[in-house]
Amino acid sequence: MHKAYKISILYLSLFTLLLLVSGYMIFELKIGFEAQRALSYYMGDKEIFTVAKSNSGILKLALPHIFGFALLSMVVLHFLIFTKFRNRVFVKVILYTILTAQFFEIFSPFLIINISEIFIYLKILSFFIYIGLIPIVLYLLFDSIAQIKFR
Amino acid sequence: MKFTIIKDLNQDTMMKPILSGLFFFTLLYILSDFFVKYNSFGLFPHAIHLSLFGNEEEFLNPINEASFLEFWHVEIFFIMMIVFTLSTVYIRLSQASRSAIVVVNIIMLSAITSLISLVFSYYFSSNFINIYVVTFFTWHILALFSSLYSLKKLYYA
Repeated sequence: MHKAYKISILYLSLFTLLLLVSGYMIFELKIGFEAQRALSYYMGDKEIFTVAKSNSGILKLALPHIFGFALLSMVVLHFLIFTKFRNRVFVKVILYTILTAQFFEIFSPFLIINISEIFIYLKILSFFIYIGLIPIVLYLLFDSIAQIKFR
Repeated sequence: MKFTIIKDLNQDTMMKPILSGLFFFTLLYILSDFFVKYNSFGLFPHAIHLSLFGNEEEFLNPINEASFLEFWHVEIFFIMMIVFTLSTVYIRLSQASRSAIVVVNIIMLSAITSLISLVFSYYFSSNFINIYVVTFFTWHILALFSSLYSLKKLYYA
């Protein structure tokens, strides 16, 4: 890997953080982090005249996120191969946790409206796990990039 | 990232058309973005101001916060993927020359600044719209340049 690629990876990290911030703001504005408020977003609320989400409505919202999450995770996580942490157990734990969290972040709304309202906690938890772990990965990249000897 | 380890990209019969395709579609995306922005969100300060804040005299409603954040979110994703992919190939084809690194830095910084100034325009002050417009054009023009330059390097180097 050439030294110049450090620049691209570092800027990619900044864009990723910006993407997480925008995702956080949208989640906070539209769904909310309190269980009751988030539940009313999915199940509807007569008092604020919102209707319950349907399976097709959730799928429509999930569709771009399935691709987006997959691409973002692949791009960010594959750089871990170039770090000194590549064979460490904790990195593999982070990797699988991120992939699991993103799966539930996208698909837990189906569980909420079809099975049980209790899955609202899974939705909120998986969101926080995802946006909490990605910056840790970015830190690991940053830490390694600063030390790798480039051509 | 396979292209980073192939020695002579412009001699490689597989990577050459693949990268040509990437640059061709990047050019199309950037040019289309100008037209789409011009006809929707706005390309110049006055039109962007109208989109963000509306105008009572002309009965134009401002964009609502959720729509704005969704627009911003999608913009971040697309821009990051485009400038990241483009910059890595451009660096590779220009043999990481000093001028190429300067261009990449300007593209990245102007793209990030355009995104940040856009959200600042909405939440803090409409003065940031001018910064958004300048940085938006800066990264678009330099991305066009680096795509064309990379195509030239692929075929005429």
